Amino acid sequence: MGARVFVCIGTKKGLFVAESGKRRERFELRGPFGPGVSVYSALVDTRGDEPTIYGSSCNPFFGMKVLRSTDLGHAFAETAAPPAFPKDDGRALANIWSLQAGAEARDLWCGVEPAALFHSSDGGDSWELVQGISNHEHARQWQPGNGGLCMHTILVDGDRVHLGISTGGHYLSEDGGATFRAANRGVGAGFVPDPYPEFGQCVHKIARHPAAPGRLYMQNHGGWSEWNGPGGPRPDIGVLRSDDHGKTWRSIAKGLPSDFGFPIVVHPHDPDVVYVMPLEPMTRTCPGSAPAIWRSADGGDSWARLAKGLPKKRAWFTVQRDAMDVDELSTPALYFGTTTGQLWIGRDGGEEWECVFDALPPIHCVKVAIA
Amino acid sequence: MTVTIHLSPLLHHYCGGGPDRRVQGASVREVFAKLELSDPKLYASVCDETGSVRPHVNVFVNVESIRDLQGLDTRLVPGDTITILQAVSGG
Repeated sequence: MGARVFVCIGTKKGLFVAESGKRRERFELRGPFGPGVSVYSALVDTRGDEPTIYGSSCNPFFGMKVLRSTDLGHAFAETAAPPAFPKDDGRALANIWSLQAGAEARDLWCGVEPAALFHSSDGGDSWELVQGISNHEHARQWQPGNGGLCMHTILVDGDRVHLGISTGGHYLSEDGGATFRAANRGVGAGFVPDPYPEFGQCVHKIARHPAAPGRLYMQNHGGWSEWNGPGGPRPDIGVLRSDDHGKTWRSIAKGLPSDFGFPIVVHPHDPDVVYVMPLEPMTRTCPGSAPAIWRSADGGDSWARLAKGLPKKRAWFTVQRDAMDVDELSTPALYFGTTTGQLWIGRDGGEEWECVFDALPPIHCVKVAIA
Repeated sequence: MTVTIHLSPLLHHYCGGGPDRRVQGASVREVFAKLELSDPKLYASVCDETGSVRPHVNVFVNVESIRDLQGLDTRLVPGDTITILQAVSGG
């Protein structure tokens, strides 16, 4: 493991890179790269001799680009080509929501809006549409959520590939991404009469830990406990766990102040430790306007509130689905970025919080790596 | 016939740094088809995968927006200037 902490911060006005030593006492900030343009996904790829940093650049005028840095985030350049739908497909790229390292040294996966998956074998210079999910029989039935019809989660686990789509649900491949099937048993939906449809759920984020084979955690679109229309109330559908590679899911939301939220993050050294940020479903801010991260140390059976150092009231920010991450140091720190442009660090596994930057543009994503 | 393409400064780096290109074509569509071959990054910044002009990009033939003419099928005459600009939008 390297000696420096890199925090990539994707914002409404470009990509920032914050760098610190392992003590994380002071962060040097560089950027914005791709200035003035929203960055919804970033990746610090530590597989090679030297890390490569990627960021999406979602230009509302001139289209999507993928930015790449090979000098630890001092300079970025566009890759040779961004993902693009085939001409006869009829869809046009509207955003890039996820960049994920693949199995081979230069393999990359990219989840986009409208929901589709691309694969690159050359570090992002060329891309191929992954037909098995992008032209899945369900694909034309998926619907956009408030953020768009986005493929935001890509988790690679050997030959298994897990995808999170809002709103499409969780899709699982067990053949390296060649074919996919909806795997949403136990994943509820509140915005359709059928509380447990085959697909179409508004999955917000999925996380896993390599030391817990088969286990997944999901932040789903909760907030439907009081629904009394067709299908009845749907309490606690927002925070879920699977122990069979996502084939079935069960609620772990008991004990949280709300089952609505966006990010979900797993501790790097303990698969039983998982973090969420519960939000009020209507305002999408923390209950009582008092921000807090909630941590489970037992795989979701119980939860504890972590708020030391965070504002005690009058804070109405949202933390978006990719805007929370954790580093892999022996005593890891959590990080989250807010829609009000603050980057927070939660030292000692989230026990004590400090605002690192307080006036960045609205933050879409935060990705951390040690390199 | 030869026409001139005048580019927004935000697009200069996609085509060697200059503001103007000289391209042959009898319609905007023909000109853009040539651009797609000669300057694919520039083309992809102006048109999406479906071949449509991006929603926040404006294309003018002389002083008229092609949205008020015949779109990509707007006919050209020698000496015309195609101006490509970002729309006034954002936040």
